[in-house]
Amino acid sequence: MSEAIGLKAKLGLDVFKHDKEAHIKIKDGMQKDPRLKRAILVCPAGLYSENEQGEVELTIDGCLECGTCLIACGTEVLEWHYPSGGTGVQFRFG
Amino acid sequence: MNIVVAMKQIPDLQQIRIRNREPVLDAVPLTLGNIDKNALEAAVAFKESHGGKVTVLSAGSEDLEDTIKEALAAGADEAFLVLDDELDGADSEAIAGILGAALNRIEDKDLIIFGEGSGDNYSGQVGPRVAEILGIPLVTYASSIEINDKTAKVVRSLEDCEEIIELTLPAAVSVLAGINEPRIPSVTQILKAGKKPKEILEMDDLGLALAEKQVITLSNLAPESERKQILLKSADELVKALSSQSLIGR
Amino acid sequence: MMEKFDAIVVGAGLAGLASAYTLANEGMEVLVLERGDYPGAKNVTGGRLYVNPVRELFPDIWKKAPLERFIASEGVCMMAGERSVSINYAGNELLEEPYQSFSILRARFDRWLAKQAERKGAMLVDKSRVDDLIFEDGKVIGVRAAGDELHANVVIACDGVLSFIAEKAGLRRKVEAPNYAVGYKEIIELDPSQIEDRFGLEGNEGSARMYMGEVTKGKFGGGFLYTNKSSISLGIVIGIKDLMEEKPSIEAPVLLDEFKQRREIAGLIKGGETVEYSAHVIPEGGYKALNKLYGDGILVAGDAAGLAMNIGVTVRGMEYALASGYYAAQTVLQAKEKEDFSAAALSHYQTQMESSFILQDFKNFQEAPQVLENPRFFNHYPEMLGNIMKDIYEVPAGSKNRLYPTIKQYMAFSELWAMLGDMRKVMKI
Ligand SMILES: Cc1cc2nc3c(=O)[nH]c(=O)nc-3n(C[C@H](O)[C@H](O)[C@H](O)COP(=O)(O)OP(=O)(O)OC[C@H]3O[C@@H](n4cnc5c(N)ncnc54)[C@H](O)[C@@H]3O)c2cc1C
Ligand code: SF4
Repeated sequence: MSEAIGLKAKLGLDVFKHDKEAHIKIKDGMQKDPRLKRAILVCPAGLYSENEQGEVELTIDGCLECGTCLIACGTEVLEWHYPSGGTGVQFRFG
Repeated sequence: MNIVVAMKQIPDLQQIRIRNREPVLDAVPLTLGNIDKNALEAAVAFKESHGGKVTVLSAGSEDLEDTIKEALAAGADEAFLVLDDELDGADSEAIAGILGAALNRIEDKDLIIFGEGSGDNYSGQVGPRVAEILGIPLVTYASSIEINDKTAKVVRSLEDCEEIIELTLPAAVSVLAGINEPRIPSVTQILKAGKKPKEILEMDDLGLALAEKQVITLSNLAPESERKQILLKSADELVKALSSQSLIGR
Repeated sequence: MMEKFDAIVVGAGLAGLASAYTLANEGMEVLVLERGDYPGAKNVTGGRLYVNPVRELFPDIWKKAPLERFIASEGVCMMAGERSVSINYAGNELLEEPYQSFSILRARFDRWLAKQAERKGAMLVDKSRVDDLIFEDGKVIGVRAAGDELHANVVIACDGVLSFIAEKAGLRRKVEAPNYAVGYKEIIELDPSQIEDRFGLEGNEGSARMYMGEVTKGKFGGGFLYTNKSSISLGIVIGIKDLMEEKPSIEAPVLLDEFKQRREIAGLIKGGETVEYSAHVIPEGGYKALNKLYGDGILVAGDAAGLAMNIGVTVRGMEYALASGYYAAQTVLQAKEKEDFSAAALSHYQTQMESSFILQDFKNFQEAPQVLENPRFFNHYPEMLGNIMKDIYEVPAGSKNRLYPTIKQYMAFSELWAMLGDMRKVMKI
């Protein structure tokens, strides 16, 4: 069996270039919106999680820019842009 | 005032992955050394406030003709290139010899700016060697440069002190990464870069041949590190973990 | 003031590069803007490109293109919880040149294709994100990128599935989760000889395998595996609507980890080293979900137009991207002759697309998304097939049942009736 590696380690294999600003943000006051909970299930990078207060949090480092959270949750709860040119994930294989 | 900036073509370090402890360089995109970009920015900023010209000088493989567009887009007026596919990986002595010979062909050069070390090898030798070849004064570790008519005033930042040095032009300076924030060129500037003048020479044109290397790299291996891969949830946990390994707070 | 381009292409994916290549080949001034560090840096595919539909559109590129392996063996695997049934297909026609399909890695392929377009004279600026369109009297006249304004007769939006550019031009349909899937995968490095041994391949032959059923816990989608030269692309494509529903509630990354641990997969990737993890949304709403293809001064191609299709477990999008990029370029060439870049003139693109294999395919398969939404395909059938095979192969201590009754017990009247219903729907595809 190929060694099961954790998600964080898997993301660590990719090249990420730092952007000055987070390119996806949870809109103010929307942290508890039920639509956001979908992101926890759909994000292939596992970047969304729910804290003890029932608020959904997003860690942007490791974002694969796939767009799944945008499709699942919509623009009412997420402010979603691509990172600026030359930043973000850079696939070597694709 | 004419400023020459020496820049090195290097692989994009963030794109290099390690396989069996060796770097995989296959198909890694090329770029210019990051501190070299600070050197260029220092020159371009001066040109913008005081006028003059910025020439970028580089020696490397044929790909350099393309890579150097980055510098032309970021404000250099012209490029002076020595191309030879053997040059990537040449040692500091060889490169300094080539740059020295090339500089002898550039007529007016008041200041030559280097990055403090190249992005890949970081030997930091090329600047000093070139200054020696040209017989001009040199200041290293510059954190600011003020250029006057015939002199330059340079702040040299060392670990726990700063020296302020005045030197007569022509001179050479190597700069620190912290000296400025290099600009990101706009699309229009990138498009114009392709049309800026480039003088391209080969080793023959300079009457040079690549000498046998005096420094040979025997092995270049990534350290064998078993990453601990401990996942921590908060800053507090991090502090605890680090101090338990007595990595902090001794 | 800067010159005005004949066309500005947003996005150096397959659609964008195909149009830039075609335009530059005809001597047009074309600028491609790409937000990644290099073309392909942001692009993900599963990995199979069918060459036949696009071979003639780009006759010069296939000989040297960095394709990985030609697909010489096909496999489908129905996975139940504890068992699976596989069908492998090998045919002599798959071994004959010109080969039908190839595995492909986009970061390599797109970079290479971009070089070919540049050689033809296209200008490419990477690391540069287009932020907005510039309009004049309701007509698109250029783009804004990092504060810079750039002008062109036509903007070709090839910016992929999320196409913010088509949206800004008002050409994009409202986003609805059922029209999209997400694909995510690992690249697992292995020695070429190991790949050849494990899959029974020779030389540059490659293998393609699809997995359905338990891989996605019965949700709409499946697993895929393609062999590259010295790696394996292993991943999952799954409907976003199904994934975000909580029945059963399962996180996307977990599905892939469990898939990798299945016996059917584990042996194939054993000793391999994962070197990349990537993900990307796929449009798969079919014909009814396509976006508008043109407007005043703007054309839309590839995923940006919604031109990808999921028929069962195979996704096709790359040929459509390449071909739609080509037809968009042809339209610009024609418009340039008449110096008319209005929506009316650019509607020629729609006509060309209708008569090409692209929209023909989309019409032929327009029922597919609705038919395939049927969860029985991803849950019930794999499970049933597995059980039938188990009973067939099982030799108990006592006497073994006759085969016919064994199978018949799974085929109660209600089951047959439901199967018939499913069959009739499948026949619409
Ligand atoms: C996991 C997975 C498996 C798949 N399997 C297959 C398969 O086996 N066979 C098949 O044919 N298809 C498959 N597909 C679908 C196929 O990959 C896509 O249909 C195809 O890549 C679409 O190409 P494109 O050129 O339209 O878009 P993309 O390849 O997405 O290119 C869009 C480009 O635009 C750039 N861009 C976006 N916005 C901007 C902006 N604002 N400014 C500048 N640049 C921008 C992006 O960086 C990117 O380079 C698969 C997809 C996935 C995700
Ligand atoms: S874009 Fe994809 S990887 Fe990034 S946060 Fe959204 S779902 Fe996760």
